[in-house]
Amino acid sequence: MTKAPLLAAGSIASLLAGSFFALAQAPGPQPHPMSFFVTSVGMGKGGDLGGLTGADAHCQALAAAVGGGGKTWHAYLSTQARPGQPAVNARDRIGTGPWYNSKRVPIAQSLSDLQGDTLEEARLGSNLFKQTALNEKGGVVNGAGDMPNTHDMLTGSRPDGRAYTDNMDHTCNNWTSSGPGSAQLGHSDRTGGGNTSWNSAHASRGCSQQDLVSTGGAGLFYCFAIN
Amino acid sequence: MNFFVTSVGLGHGANLGGLAGADAHCQQLATAAGAGNRTWHAYLSTQARPGQPAVNARDRIGTGPWYNAKGEMIAKNLADLHGDTLDLARMGNNINKLTDLTEKGQIVPGLTDGANPRDREWAYMQEHPESNRHETLTGSQPDGRAFTDNRDHTCNNWTSEAKGAAEALRENTGANAQVGMSDRNGGGNGSWNSAHGTSGCGQEDLGRTHGVGLYYCFAIN
Repeated sequence: MTKAPLLAAGSIASLLAGSFFALAQAPGPQPHPMSFFVTSVGMGKGGDLGGLTGADAHCQALAAAVGGGGKTWHAYLSTQARPGQPAVNARDRIGTGPWYNSKRVPIAQSLSDLQGDTLEEARLGSNLFKQTALNEKGGVVNGAGDMPNTHDMLTGSRPDGRAYTDNMDHTCNNWTSSGPGSAQLGHSDRTGGGNTSWNSAHASRGCSQQDLVSTGGAGLFYCFAIN
Repeated sequence: MNFFVTSVGLGHGANLGGLAGADAHCQQLATAAGAGNRTWHAYLSTQARPGQPAVNARDRIGTGPWYNAKGEMIAKNLADLHGDTLDLARMGNNINKLTDLTEKGQIVPGLTDGANPRDREWAYMQEHPESNRHETLTGSQPDGRAFTDNRDHTCNNWTSEAKGAAEALRENTGANAQVGMSDRNGGGNGSWNSAHGTSGCGQEDLGRTHGVGLYYCFAIN
């Protein structure tokens, strides 16, 4: 009997949930299918995702490629109001949870847990951090200190998960620009930017792919299943 | 530098010799790193006892701003550190694996670092300083204050090495200390100061959930 495979299989799943659950979590009755992931690849055109529609389709295609196409997937992205077009809040388009990553580890129990809607929840934070914010293939997303760092997540959102209401661009022109503009970014490893925010750590330098890469991104974003 | 994580524990689990012993350890480590001119306090709460009021960790660390061994700011002030408003709490402070360095400027190994089937055993953890030891003693609630319930969350105010009631964390209704995650990774929430309790107060007990009895030190001046 070797120890290494044991670690690779049994205990990584528990490691992902953190030391707390590692000890305590017995094999559950029915595992939870994936309902959250970070895109393993971006769309290659910086902040131009083809709007929310294009971004959602990217989520759906990546999920389908790993057997998760039975659910309806939405990108965690906000868009800002335009004449005749109301703002869209990322938090309003991802269902109600709970959400689980590709290793069936819970990310958040509810919108309130995810977004920290109460002071207690906000102080604690959700279960989204580097070792749980996995891509759809179960891979850990490179974070600060890794080469290359790809922890910048496009969100276009404020810390509460809602769209910005000022006149600045925070969404690369509602996810259609790969040139001028800026996108608000979160950190999948909750590291960097002077804070620990998963969804609203800092703004991008611009909207080109190179602009995103230059601050530790690859045009990745969060996908949630709404059902 | 006016903030660090202890590079080593005291070796007696969560028995730190009370706050006085814990503070002295901070001071000693800081002195060895050339920062002994400041007054150092451990970020630890103690619970109320008859004739002895509770002590809140947040009330014993000065007012900030605090900087790590590399001069990086980890929090502007007490409100930033603890998320005293909803906006601040959602953003979080700047404590993470790459910033909450030891007094020597080293990163504290975190979740999945040096993973090994034995990496929860004290003997192994001593021999392998590269293995995960992210659990950081605080005895505090997320707001940085002492617990006010009847359960012990401070290993009897940092004087006990008692075993817990059960080795499994969720079954332990006995001796324990509240811990945070220095790498903001794991524990069900990634809280830096109040993720969960331990499965006991001895060195072996702390190891069982990837702790070796490290804690945060802040200079108050």
